[in-house]
Amino acid sequence: MDLGFFAQYLINGLVQGITYALVAVGFTLFFGVLDVIKFSHGDVLMLGAFTALALFLGLDRLSTPTWLSLTIMLCLGTLTMALLGALLCKFLVLPLKESPPLNTLLITLMFGSVIRESVRLFFPNGSNPKPFPALLPETSINWGNLNLRLDSVILIFTGALAIVLTHLFIQKTRMGLAIRAVAQDEETARLMGINFTKTVLMTFALGSGLAALSGISTGLYYQEINFSMGLMLGVIGFSAAVVGGLGSIYGAIVGGLLFAFLQTLGAIWFSVPAYKDVFAFTVIIMLMAWRPTGLLADRSAERV
Amino acid sequence: MRPVVLKTVELTVSFGGLKALNCLDFELCEGQFLGLIGPNGSGKTTFFNALTGIYSPASGNVFLYGEKITGASPNKVYDYGITRTFQRSRLATPLSVLDNLIIGNQRNLNFGLWQNIFDRKRFKAELKKQTEIAEALLSRFSRDLAALLFKPVSSLSMIDRRRVEVCRALISEPKILLLDEPSAGMTPDETRALMDELQDWRKQHPLLATILIEHEMELINKVSDTCVVLNYGEKIAEGRYSDVATKTSVRAAYLGED
Amino acid sequence: MAANRLVGRSFCGTRLITMSDLKTKLEILLGVALCVVVLYGFLYLEHEWEIGLLLVILPLAILFLKRANILSDYQQAARTIPRFTLISFIVGVLVLIVLLRDEHFALLMLTTVLLYVTVSLGLTIQFGFAGLVNFAAIAFFGIGAYSMAVLNYHFHALPDLLIILFSGLTSALLGALLILPILRTKGHYAALITIAFGILLRTFLEVNDVFGGPQGLKVGAIEILGWNFSDSFPSVLGGGSFYMAYAIMALLLAAIAYLLTRLIEASWFGLNMDSVRLDEVASASFGINIPRWKITAFMLGNFFAGLAGAIYAAMSGFIAPASFNFSDSLLLVSIVLLGGIGNAVAVIPAALLIVVLPEKFQVIQEYRLLLFGIVVILILRFRPSGLMPRGLRQYFPRSST
Repeated sequence: MDLGFFAQYLINGLVQGITYALVAVGFTLFFGVLDVIKFSHGDVLMLGAFTALALFLGLDRLSTPTWLSLTIMLCLGTLTMALLGALLCKFLVLPLKESPPLNTLLITLMFGSVIRESVRLFFPNGSNPKPFPALLPETSINWGNLNLRLDSVILIFTGALAIVLTHLFIQKTRMGLAIRAVAQDEETARLMGINFTKTVLMTFALGSGLAALSGISTGLYYQEINFSMGLMLGVIGFSAAVVGGLGSIYGAIVGGLLFAFLQTLGAIWFSVPAYKDVFAFTVIIMLMAWRPTGLLADRSAERV
Repeated sequence: MRPVVLKTVELTVSFGGLKALNCLDFELCEGQFLGLIGPNGSGKTTFFNALTGIYSPASGNVFLYGEKITGASPNKVYDYGITRTFQRSRLATPLSVLDNLIIGNQRNLNFGLWQNIFDRKRFKAELKKQTEIAEALLSRFSRDLAALLFKPVSSLSMIDRRRVEVCRALISEPKILLLDEPSAGMTPDETRALMDELQDWRKQHPLLATILIEHEMELINKVSDTCVVLNYGEKIAEGRYSDVATKTSVRAAYLGED
Repeated sequence: MAANRLVGRSFCGTRLITMSDLKTKLEILLGVALCVVVLYGFLYLEHEWEIGLLLVILPLAILFLKRANILSDYQQAARTIPRFTLISFIVGVLVLIVLLRDEHFALLMLTTVLLYVTVSLGLTIQFGFAGLVNFAAIAFFGIGAYSMAVLNYHFHALPDLLIILFSGLTSALLGALLILPILRTKGHYAALITIAFGILLRTFLEVNDVFGGPQGLKVGAIEILGWNFSDSFPSVLGGGSFYMAYAIMALLLAAIAYLLTRLIEASWFGLNMDSVRLDEVASASFGINIPRWKITAFMLGNFFAGLAGAIYAAMSGFIAPASFNFSDSLLLVSIVLLGGIGNAVAVIPAALLIVVLPEKFQVIQEYRLLLFGIVVILILRFRPSGLMPRGLRQYFPRSST
């Protein structure tokens, strides 16, 4: 294989990997503060993309300039999903805090199913794939076999930027400090005067906003979205977070890139494209059997 | 001199860089009642977890009647005859008192497929035997509790839950009983009642060796033959409570003096 | 004198017991008859307003029976003579099948309910007893169905009952691939593994030409001792729809699965599985071999799913990957939750509601996943133990005193 092909795979893999990492960061955040898995995460992502699409359809009628549409879609899309994430947390996740973890998992799984079905049934013609507008510049440069699309580069940078900002937010701000404190030890954090509920809601808002962002990026990249896209992306994002090590942002990034890398490898090896997912998941399941707590997280012992 | 049941040699448990237990040498004789004390985080529960196979030690060894059992799995440790209670009660609360006690008597249950599923007559006989054992044991502790044999544990009061937990640990007639702060969540009167009941049981099982982790010094003084004091994972004193309590190093550990 | 009175009393006592015994049996039979009538209506009626009326009357009737303590008395009675109750209900469903002998669609629904009950009982063992989450129930059902298709085609000489058994075993064995990752991980992680497995299996079946790709495979009908199940029911036995044979077979399977589930619950097996679910650390400290019980529960549950899948495949005559969706796995989990986690009886009404309602109401059909999603969310939020919460373990029938 020549260098051009290789670079092409690398760029495509990076776009994918960053998207997965964005989803995985959400899983890691939720698990960090509340030890829960929000299985509706993928569907929140999908709903974010559909919200952006609906906004675009509205703005298009008013013939808004592209840059403005894109800004509004991004801002409103992420904000709405952030709000939805916080609401989900307040009304479905926090009330179940004392019940078996399985119940939280089920309730979020079912909430995801409700979002998915609602979009399928109530979005006009929602059961079919929807074209997503190509709002990013379509310029591309050719170097031999490499076709470098400008939109790929923009998406990689936006995604990376979002992750870096999240990291800075958690490391440098007061709210971030509260999030880390709650993740360390809920009781102590409460005693130190941290508003637990507010912190958890904020974390859920943040994670869900990131999911919306990755949903919109996916739409912009493939120029098509559908109601069931969230299921697969959610499972992939969760796998990425788990393989990296739940609770660690670096783990989420490593996991996301690793998954994209495995898919790319699968796509090169197998002639049938669908096998790339079969391959990637098989490797992930094996990795989980090998290191159940992930590649980067420290092995935490249960308190007895 | 009574024979040594349990012995640890330079037992060390570490979490990352932190040594929760550091080179602990420890001996327990048949029938001895040993109090394990020390400030919070001094490694008492870690010691229990290392003995029962929940944590595997980084170095050092554990011997049971001279036989090395270091790193044995929790199942194995139970089979050797070491049982325990937990600091935060770990009963199966939705299940009945009887179910919880039978869980404690694993060693004496028959898990054959034939008997459990098909030969229900034989299973019934075994169930009857287990029920009798459980009832007899419970009524030694509290007659009222024995009447609640078929009630879910979730409906019991704190002291009854503790009793069930202690009985679950005793039903298989172990050689060593590990009690992790049984007074937690109970009033001093309740704790005293439970201890009296336990002493009563020990009279009939004179070989049973017991280790008790406790913060109530009065209790330790009353029930223990000897004490071991831990601080930062190391043994800082050993002997009769009255001797140990006056030691300056022990006072320093508790009061935080240098 | 005192001895005499004692004898007298005990004599009266025994006579009373036989009398009350007969009365209990009659009560049970009456209950079965009522259920058969209601079910007949539920399955037979076609107009939405008729079903609607039934659905208004039924909960009111149940509420009334509950208020008047008749329901709890009935449960009490059933607990004293469980074997008689079970046999009566089996006979009741047989009568129902005969009553519906010419109704293809009603029989198809009934069979589907019975097969779903079998799968849900498998889930009850995995998830209600041992606490293993399995979001790939439909995948194991699918493995059973595909095994049936392939084995039936390639080994036609083998008796079909054996092929069904093999299909169940295939399902359990393929599930064994997941045992290592599931044992090594906990809760949420295990959930992820089964979800991934379900999605993977579907993708695999879709792209693999050996299994017919997205178009799927044709499946031969079951044939036992020269009796081909796809022919009409033998006229010697009164004749009727070919679905009758499948319905009876599904009934037998569901009954065996139910009996086995109950026996497991009422033995040390069920006790240890419960203990593993509730607290792994405490279980291990009391000598419980955690992997042993998790593996047993997982394999057995998938075996049930595989058996049900095999019968389903033969009955439909055709299977395709599209019939084994992740959302169907969610539907099965909903059945277990709606009924009451760990309660084997509860999956029966739950499966009836979840399978039959959407078929009766065209409106619901389209919206069923949405509606069931909302219902399950509400249950988890406000009544997590389900409509019929599981009671304490009862090892043996309660004596009538």
